[in-house]
Amino acid sequence: MQPLLSVRNLTLTYPNGYQALKGISFDVMPGEFLVIIGLSGSGKSTLLRCLNRLLEPTTGSITFNDRDITHIQGEALREHRARIGMIFQHFNLIPRHSVIKNVLYGALGATPTLNAMLGRFSDDAQRRAQEALQVVGIPEKAEIRADSLSGGQQQRVAIARALMQQPQLLLADEPVASLDPSTSHSVMSYLERINKEMNTTVICNLHFLSLVRQYATRVIALKNGEMVFQGSPHDITDEWFATIYGEDAVEVEIR
Amino acid sequence: MKRLLAIIIDGLLGASVGALIERVIVPALLDTSGAADTSYALLASGLGAAIYIIAGLAAKSSIGGVSLGIDTPEGRSLRTVSHLGWLTLSVFIVGGWIITAISPIEFFSGDGLAGAGRIFQALITPEFDIIGEAVSAMIVTIFTAFMATVVAVPISFLLSFPAARNVMSETPLTKTIYVILRVILNIMRSMEPIIWAIIFSVWVGIGPFAGMLALVVHTVASLTKQYSEQIEDVNSGPIEAISATGASRIQVLWFAIVPQCVIPFLSFTIYRWDINVRMATIIGFVGGGGIGTLLTQYQGVAKYNEVGTLVILITAVVWILDVVSARVREALR
Repeated sequence: MQPLLSVRNLTLTYPNGYQALKGISFDVMPGEFLVIIGLSGSGKSTLLRCLNRLLEPTTGSITFNDRDITHIQGEALREHRARIGMIFQHFNLIPRHSVIKNVLYGALGATPTLNAMLGRFSDDAQRRAQEALQVVGIPEKAEIRADSLSGGQQQRVAIARALMQQPQLLLADEPVASLDPSTSHSVMSYLERINKEMNTTVICNLHFLSLVRQYATRVIALKNGEMVFQGSPHDITDEWFATIYGEDAVEVEIR
Repeated sequence: MKRLLAIIIDGLLGASVGALIERVIVPALLDTSGAADTSYALLASGLGAAIYIIAGLAAKSSIGGVSLGIDTPEGRSLRTVSHLGWLTLSVFIVGGWIITAISPIEFFSGDGLAGAGRIFQALITPEFDIIGEAVSAMIVTIFTAFMATVVAVPISFLLSFPAARNVMSETPLTKTIYVILRVILNIMRSMEPIIWAIIFSVWVGIGPFAGMLALVVHTVASLTKQYSEQIEDVNSGPIEAISATGASRIQVLWFAIVPQCVIPFLSFTIYRWDINVRMATIIGFVGGGGIGTLLTQYQGVAKYNEVGTLVILITAVVWILDVVSARVREALR
């Protein structure tokens, strides 16, 4: 089977000289639920943002669907981003706009600029937005302002927005880091359903190892911009844990 | 580098003190109208500058250094700096008193007080026969300000994006555009609307149109700055999220940045209209039309009872607008 995504010797140096990624290589197969772990500042978020090219890598290459997307620009870049959904730690919804509008914004990549600005989304997009809200279980919230929802509900709206893109790949950057434990599991189970039922590949940054063991099919660990572990979530022994998180770290459970 | 700047500050202060003493204070004391020979003034400035700089270097700390935050004088050097500081302040106050021709004698003279009494008398017994004329002039002023705001808002809105650092940080070209635009706006804002009014009253003739154009220029400069600072302040999360959907640049501006700015933009705009009504009044003095022009006309022929009516009307309108705009802005928050 061909990998969906191939990352080779990826480095990224920020303009201020900080080296966030130092030669990362890995493959992602279609249908995987890949989790990236590591301390804050280890390069997880930077890596994720290279994959949908919110950031441009310094050297190395990223191949998606057999296409080199490392340095694409303009129209090609927008098409690439539109194929990849993304959700964020702070949800990043447009606060004053309604839930359904926020979901529709997932279709911006496929909507002509002027039509979108006039609020004209295609009938197909309108229908799929309703469906996406059904999938995440909050169809009744469609007309409510996004910032009046709870954190967990906002994250579900963000997932619905990502689903609007009909993504081949879903990126999740610390999706549960600002949620409480029970809501965390609810959001993670939506990601799991999208992964299993819609066969969407998921790459997710996580902090809690208990969540990693429950949801990941494979794990990558970063430390100071380098990949220090790659394997099954059950292979993360205490020694690996100490290597990834430092000698003094104690594992925290979330149930 | 900062040390050099500190020395320049010390030199300028010393030179000012020397020049003030030689040009202003000494002639006032000797009751002469200032020596005609400029070489003495140069000598005095040079001497002052030299004393300040040498004192600063000798004490290893100076006024310039303290004001730039690079010196923290103690003991003897603190005494030197504080003596020089008090000397500078005293010379500036004495020199300033003489230059502005402050004269308590005239302030309290019988003739003067009688004149003031007449004006105040007139102002508090306003001539309400001209109220119709006054109100229609006030309406001209209010709408001059209103139209200036209406015309300036879309221009400012469009300019505020290229004037925002976070929007323009991508390439060297956009950064250059940003810097040039910011410089032009700063120059435009530094020129008082009253100067623009003089320019436009020659250009399009005296009247409300000239006043409006003057206000448009100033409003564009001010609103663009406020708008763009608001844009620089937006949360970058939604920008990332909308970009990640494959949205175009314009879509990102419209869907991620604009919704975060609408309310503050409205608030700035209402406040600007409020300011513009006040400015339109002043601009009327130099040919901008409306109540300001009417006021100069009556004041020119010393009809102070009529002036009183106008002053009361202006005060009332400005006060009402101030309260209303504050309330609306409060409600918008």
